[in-house]
Amino acid sequence: MLGARLLLGGVWIAAGAAKLPDPAGSVRSVRTYQLLPEAVVPTLGYALPVLELALGVLLLLGVAVRFGAMLSVALLAAFVVGVSSAWVRGLTIDCGCFGGGGAVAAGETRYGSEVLRDALLLVVAASLARWPTSRLALAPPRTYDHERFDTKAG
Amino acid sequence: MTMPTRTPTARSTRTDVERRKQPAAVCQAARAAERRRRRLSVAFVVLLALLVAGGIAVQASRSTSGAQTGAPAGLTADGIGVPLGARGAPVLVELYEDFLCPACRRFEETAGTELREMAAAGQVRIVYRGMAFLDGASTSRYSTRALNAAACAVDAGRFPQYHDRLFAAQPPEGGAGLSDARLVALGAEAGISGGDFAGCVEDLRYERWTQRATDAASKAGVVQTPTVRVNGHDLPAPTLEELRAAVNGAQH
Repeated sequence: MLGARLLLGGVWIAAGAAKLPDPAGSVRSVRTYQLLPEAVVPTLGYALPVLELALGVLLLLGVAVRFGAMLSVALLAAFVVGVSSAWVRGLTIDCGCFGGGGAVAAGETRYGSEVLRDALLLVVAASLARWPTSRLALAPPRTYDHERFDTKAG
Repeated sequence: MTMPTRTPTARSTRTDVERRKQPAAVCQAARAAERRRRRLSVAFVVLLALLVAGGIAVQASRSTSGAQTGAPAGLTADGIGVPLGARGAPVLVELYEDFLCPACRRFEETAGTELREMAAAGQVRIVYRGMAFLDGASTSRYSTRALNAAACAVDAGRFPQYHDRLFAAQPPEGGAGLSDARLVALGAEAGISGGDFAGCVEDLRYERWTQRATDAASKAGVVQTPTVRVNGHDLPAPTLEELRAAVNGAQH
């Protein structure tokens, strides 16, 4: 699970760092999906890079791995839904996953690979949430086994 | 996050109190650990929420698109567009362009002159809506600097001429763009003399305005440049043929 943690953390760092320098561009990227009301678009545009970076740091450091993994699952699921819906609605946009965003020519969309990538990462995040291993993972104490302690006591 | 609910003692039928003490103590310790873990988790979520909230505030303040500062004179009512042509013209052509966008230059080269002629003939009213969203495609934030310079040219009353010079001299994407000195020199070529054009260009006087303009375009649903909007409808492709067809269609 170390590999999963580093992979997911690395991707979040890369995605967050690519968007962080251009907050206005990040907001525009969110807007191009035409999914959310204008009232929340700027907030999400500002929040995403920060959240992604924070998630990346958590996962790379191995702090609160289960929490980070579960949040990753939620975020990636939202991305899969967002990109798929853009695909279905026939928008021709770049997902803006690593900065960029905006429209692309009709033949240049990469929805298939974008969805596949996010879906694979989602699987990685889900397995990490299921089997988080790290000293600071904040996972339930699975080492404590009532039956075993009972037997020992007897 | 399922929790084992069975207590260890419930299952044990042993009567020896001493023997039952140990698992109870262990269980208590585990419960304490679980409580600690919960508290830590909650603290964590709160901390992350605070961090993200702070991040949002920082990002919002860096974006500054809402800031109301100076704009050049003579713009459309929304304070963004640069109008050209008779107010009563039957067809409105809105042009969303970034001065670093190669497709915009191609549109201007092929259709720009004829569009101006339509405006001169009273057929259309043009509203130029600049965008500066390609700052990442130059090392000097050329999109912003060029749009700012164009706003300075509005003040000097020579926007159309300067607009055309900027596209004619368009630098390639990925480079350093034109220098401030070159932007000022282009102003002279466009007939701008005197005034504070050079200072306006060098100080990025209308930088905030360029951000507002870009933001307004995004809110208007523009996701690419050039977007040519004829009476509210985007051309399927920014070509002279499409433009002619749309303008003729809008007139009849």
